[in-house]
Amino acid sequence: MWRFLGRRFVQMLITLLLFQAVTYFLIDAQPGDIADLLTLDPNIPPAERERLRAQLGLDRPPAERFITYIGNFYRGNLGVSFQEYPRPVIDIIKERLPRTVVLFLTASILSFWTGFVTGKILAWRRGGWIEYASTITGVTLYTVFTPWFALMMIWLFAVALNWLPAGKFLDPLKWLDAPISANAVFARMIWSSFFALVIVFVGFWFSNRVPRRQRLVLRAASLLVPLVGMLLYWRLSGLGFYAWDIARHLILPVLTVTLIAYGGTMLLTRTSMLETLREDYVLTARAKGLPDKVVRDKHVARNALLPVWTGLVFSLGNSVSGGIITETIFSWPGIGLTLLNSALVADIPVAMGTLTVVGVMTLISHLIADIGYAFLDPRIRYH
Amino acid sequence: MTKPLLSVENLTMHYTTRGGEVAAVDDVSFSLHEGEALGLVGESGCGKTSVAMSILRLLPDNARILGGQIWLGDLELLSLPEPEMQKVRWGRISMIFQAAMNSLNPVYRVGDQIIEALELHWGDISRQQARERVAELYQLVGLDPALMDRYPHEYSGGMRQRAVIAMALACNPDVIIADEPTTALDVIVQDRILKRLTEIQKKIGMAMIYISHDIAVIAEVSHRVGVMYAGKLVELANTVNIFERPLHPYTAGLMASIPSIHGEKRDLVTLGGEPPNLLHPPSGCRFHPRCARATGICIEQEPPFQDYGNGHYAACWHPMEVDYGSH
Ligand SMILES: Nc1ncnc2c1ncn2[C@@H]1O[C@H](COP(=O)(O)OP(=O)(O)OP(=O)(O)O)[C@@H](O)[C@H]1O
Ligand code: SF4
Ligand SMILES: [Mg+2]
Repeated sequence: MWRFLGRRFVQMLITLLLFQAVTYFLIDAQPGDIADLLTLDPNIPPAERERLRAQLGLDRPPAERFITYIGNFYRGNLGVSFQEYPRPVIDIIKERLPRTVVLFLTASILSFWTGFVTGKILAWRRGGWIEYASTITGVTLYTVFTPWFALMMIWLFAVALNWLPAGKFLDPLKWLDAPISANAVFARMIWSSFFALVIVFVGFWFSNRVPRRQRLVLRAASLLVPLVGMLLYWRLSGLGFYAWDIARHLILPVLTVTLIAYGGTMLLTRTSMLETLREDYVLTARAKGLPDKVVRDKHVARNALLPVWTGLVFSLGNSVSGGIITETIFSWPGIGLTLLNSALVADIPVAMGTLTVVGVMTLISHLIADIGYAFLDPRIRYH
Repeated sequence: MTKPLLSVENLTMHYTTRGGEVAAVDDVSFSLHEGEALGLVGESGCGKTSVAMSILRLLPDNARILGGQIWLGDLELLSLPEPEMQKVRWGRISMIFQAAMNSLNPVYRVGDQIIEALELHWGDISRQQARERVAELYQLVGLDPALMDRYPHEYSGGMRQRAVIAMALACNPDVIIADEPTTALDVIVQDRILKRLTEIQKKIGMAMIYISHDIAVIAEVSHRVGVMYAGKLVELANTVNIFERPLHPYTAGLMASIPSIHGEKRDLVTLGGEPPNLLHPPSGCRFHPRCARATGICIEQEPPFQDYGNGHYAACWHPMEVDYGSH
C-alpha cells in the first residue's frame, strides 16, 4: 500500500507538472503581456517599455521563464496578484480554497449519501407512484441545465420565500464590529464541524460492535454530545451570531449542488441494485434465511455500491467546471469565482495559481476515489 | 413405513410471462425419508430447479404456486409465515445452488459468510466457536481451514464448490438440496467433489435431494430416483429398479443414453425430438410427441401416476414392463 501511494504520488507530480506546462504556455501564447497593459499610455517611450520588460523578466525565452516559475512555485512562491497588488497569490488561495472545499465536500457527501440510501430503498420497492415520481425527479435533476436550476433555487428560496440570502459569503452589515475576521470564524467552523463529525463516526462505528441495547444509547450519545458541544462552543465564544451568518449563506449553494449531484447517484444506485439483485449470491443470502433488510443492506447494497463509487469519480471531473458556474451564480468567493475573475482582468499569476489548485484538487479526489475503491472491493489490490 | 421427513404433495407451480403461463411444475408428489438421497433427473428446463425453489419458497416474483402442500415433519411450508420460513431456510433445509461458483459474495471473506449463517441460526454461538465450526466443516469437505479468511476470488472453482458445500452443511440441516452442484467444474474435480458429497451424506446421515440432468451421476449418489419430464414427475422408484426395469418410455430412453462402461458421457439429446414447450404443453401425456409407444389415449388423456408395487410409480398408459411380481 505504501509503495503504491509513493508511486502514485510521483505520478501525480508528473501529471501536475504537465498540467502546469500546458496552462503556462497556453496563457503565454495569448497576445500581449502585462508590460503592454502597464504601458498602454502612448507617452511612455519604447525604451522605457523594454526596460520594464527586462525588469519583469519578460524578455527571456518562454522555456526559461517557465522553469523559473516552476522553481518558485515549488518553493511556495506563486507570485503576486496584479489586481490586488502586492498581495501574494498563495495568500489569496489560502483564503478562497477552504470555501470551495467546504461547499463541494459537503454537497458531495450529502448527495452521495442521500442518493445511495434513497436509490437503495427505491430498488427494493418497485412499482407504484413512488417509483414513478422518484424516477422523474432523478432524471430531471440529472439532466437539468445547472445555471437555470441555480437561478430557480435563488428565486424560490431567496426571493419568493425569502428564507435565505441570495448569494455571497456573508452580510457585511452584520460584521461591522466583529471581534475577529470572517476567515478566522470560518476556520473555526471547519474545525469544530470536523471534530463533531469525528465523534459521530467513531460513536456509530463502535455502536455496531456492542449488544443491541447499548447500541441505541451509544448512537444517541454520539449525536447529542457533538450537538451540545457545538451549541456551547458558539454560545460561549460569542461568535455564534457570525458563524450563523456564514452558515446561512452556505445553505443555498450547498443545497443546489447537492440536488444536482443527487439525481445521478440515486439513479445509478437504483440501476446497480436491480442488477445486483440478479446475482446468485443474493439468492444464497435469501436461502440462508437472512431477513429481507439484511439481504438488502449487507449483500445487495454493499455490492451495488461499487459502480456508484466509480460514478462518483467521473462526476468529480464535472464538479470542477460546475463549480465555477455555481460559485459565480451564488457569488460564492471561492476558487472558481477567483479563477473566473482573474481570467477576465488578465491577472495572470492568480489565474495560473487557481488553475493549478483546480488541477491538484482533481488529482487528490481521484486518489481518494481509488483508495476508497480498494477498501470497498477486495478483488482490487494495489501494489 | 416411517413418516417421511419431507413430503411434497401435488405441487403445481406456474410462471407468468409475457407469452403466457409456463407450467413449470404440474402435480408433482414425492417424499424424502431420513438419511435418504433422492435423485431428481430430467432434461434441461423440465422444472427440477423450480421444484427445489418451491420447497424453499425462493421463487421469483412471477412465479405462482397454484396448489399442493409441502410438509417438513409437521410444518406445512407453503402456508408458513415468512419469519418462520426464514428459520427453516438453512436451519432445516439448505441448498447448494446450480451456479454454485457464484454463490459466494465477492466482498466478504468466505469464512465470514458461513459464520453469518451460524450466527443467524445458532444465535448464542461465540465468534471463536463459530470459527471452530467453520474449520471443522472445511476439514469435512477437504479444504484447508486457513483458507477461511480468504476472499472468494482467491479460491479455485473446485475450492469454491467445496466451500459452498461446507456452507450448506453448516447448521446441520435435516435436508440438503443439491441442484447440479458440479456442472460448472471439469470432470475430474466434479468426480472428486461428488465422491466427497456422497461420503459426507452417508457419514452424517442427512437427507439429500440431488438434482441433475446426468443420469449416470444420479445413479452414483441416490437411493431413489424421480424422473421429471416437462414439469411432471413421470417415474419414481429405487435406483436399482429404475435402472433395471424402467416403466416409462422416457426413463427407458434416458437409460439408453448412459454409456455402458466409463466411456464418454452422452447427453439426453440422443432421445430425439424437441424438448416440449412449457408455454403450450402437449395434450394428454406430455411425452407423446416423442414417444414410440404413443396411441390415441396418450394424446387425449393424461396418464395417472400409478403404483406398480415395490414403491415403483410411473405415469404411462403403456408402461414398458407391467408385470412387476413375476420377475
Ligand atoms: N423466472 C422464470 N420465468 C419464466 N419462466 C421460467 C422462469 N424460471 C424458469 N422458467 C421456465 O420454467 C421451466 C422450468 O425451469 P427450471 O429452471 O425449473 O428447469 P430445470 O429443470 O432446473 O432446468 P436446468 O436443467 O436447465 O436447470 C423452464 O421451461 C424455464 O424456461
Ligand atoms: S402415456 Fe403414452 S405417450 Fe406417454 S409415455 Fe406412456 S406410452 Fe408414451
Ligand atoms: Mg435447474
